[in-house]
Amino acid sequence: MSSTAKSGKKSSWLLRLLFLSPVLILFAGFFVYPFFFTLYASFTRWRGIGAMQFIGIGNYVKIFADGTFHLALRNNFIWALSHGFVQIPFAALVAMILLREPKGWRFLRTVYFLPNVISTVALTMVWSSLYNVQFGLINEFLVKILGKQTVHFLGNPDIALSAVIFQTVIYIGYFMIILLSAGMNIPKELYEAAQIDGASVVQQERFITLPMLRGTLLTSITLAMAYGVRHFESTYLMTGGGPAYATTTMGIDLFQKMDALRYSEASTVGVLLILFGTVLIVAIRKIFGKSDPMSDMAQ
Amino acid sequence: MKHAFSLSHISAQILKWTVLLFFLSAALFPLVWLLINSFRSNLELQITSFALPERWLIGNYERALQVASLPRLFFNSIVASFSAVIINVLISSLAGFVLSREVFKGRDTIYTIVTAGVLIPIIAFMVPYFSLITKLGIYDSLSALILVYASVNIPVSMFLITSFMRSIPKELEEAAIIDGCGFVQRFSKIVFPLSQSGLVTAGTFCFIYSWNDFIMAMLLTSGLSARTVQLGIKFFTSQFITDYTSMFAAIIITMIPSVGAYVFLHNRIISGLTAGAVKG
Repeated sequence: MSSTAKSGKKSSWLLRLLFLSPVLILFAGFFVYPFFFTLYASFTRWRGIGAMQFIGIGNYVKIFADGTFHLALRNNFIWALSHGFVQIPFAALVAMILLREPKGWRFLRTVYFLPNVISTVALTMVWSSLYNVQFGLINEFLVKILGKQTVHFLGNPDIALSAVIFQTVIYIGYFMIILLSAGMNIPKELYEAAQIDGASVVQQERFITLPMLRGTLLTSITLAMAYGVRHFESTYLMTGGGPAYATTTMGIDLFQKMDALRYSEASTVGVLLILFGTVLIVAIRKIFGKSDPMSDMAQ
Repeated sequence: MKHAFSLSHISAQILKWTVLLFFLSAALFPLVWLLINSFRSNLELQITSFALPERWLIGNYERALQVASLPRLFFNSIVASFSAVIINVLISSLAGFVLSREVFKGRDTIYTIVTAGVLIPIIAFMVPYFSLITKLGIYDSLSALILVYASVNIPVSMFLITSFMRSIPKELEEAAIIDGCGFVQRFSKIVFPLSQSGLVTAGTFCFIYSWNDFIMAMLLTSGLSARTVQLGIKFFTSQFITDYTSMFAAIIITMIPSVGAYVFLHNRIISGLTAGAVKG
């Protein structure tokens, strides 16, 4: 690389360091330090003030014996799966339909993405109202049109988790746009040739679109699952993890432990959350073949 | 279209439009419901949840503006988000320049470690962030939010900006070196200006995160002085108590800037997001 002909100079080392240092300092402060801090705190007894007292794996033993954490783990898993394997297939289906440019597809694309520019908090408030027992639209539909009983969507432990997840999974816009623009790069000649050979639309999608989108699909599944694991606002605002911990997640559990000044246990949940997210992503890539999400995104 | 009237073609069309219309109504209907009810009275809402207003009441919006301290919330959100974007994009472009245009030992290691930060679920860091911000003495201030927003977005911005800068032809810089440009000028005169669309994409991601953040605002602020729009929405339920339709009006007001921007700029937003996320 000849552009660096002058880079041998001492001054350029200093300049490089100067240019890198703001990012490196903030990255160290908000990623590296918190990581090791959380890891260390998870092996201590600490209530936020005073010194940390090293106690070994005590917090882990306690948390693994805790029924609430089991529920949180299970719910995190359900969140991840429903984002990776319900949201993404729907996003892919809609993208494949729009790739054939039906009437008004540009308008549809724009509207599907609209909820993505609205904050999760605002959308959650809207859905809390839609689910409301007194004036919610969904209950009104159930009672007045279908003649059914009122359903306490967010108060019934059997339904609450599905109700909270549902209003995030149906917003397919972001991944639909990503899949759509990847699909637009597929050469049109492939479809023309397939059509001449007599391939049906379904066969074309099955043997051209899906294989060509494989990398983007895998990236989308990985990202969607990562987002599913991280989701916090909807649960926090709709149910606070209740009723009876039915909708709790590791994030909620962490926050509640912190709120109760159990900082070291909260840190333990934090470590397990990072571990859970990493294992999930590695597992997906092992199951569906190697693909680096970052380099996929750059393709 | 040779089978235009065959049974299978018709059922395929029905299936296709069912899917498209389902997601269309999922995207639009809750918002339309909210908008219509923000003009109705609470009594009307209790009677039926789905009807046009008997009279379109503007009073809900007047009450929303009185009760919810919206100007303050908007001011805080705007200051926090824009400052975070400027800091984040500026420092990421400095570092991205070094990591994309310079060759030295450890360069790829730094890049890999920094961008691997996207894999971390940030909510796992609530304890250390709270402790760090308290130690810095900036708890309950906009500086705390600006610092966190600018930092948390470093991995994404570094990825977007560095990969964009890599795609700028080397020849341009070589010509500049012959013309006597030094290290700083290669950045300020060549690479930085040519990276504009990459910087805009990174800035957009950072802005969307900062504007929509709820968790950090809840964790790191307590009073009204640094309360952002998203955190403010949480307090609507206690501020409006049973005045639901005024609360709906307040929520609508919080959506106006982003929805408004989207209505006018949707083509550029969509192409900008995809250009950065999946470079074609």
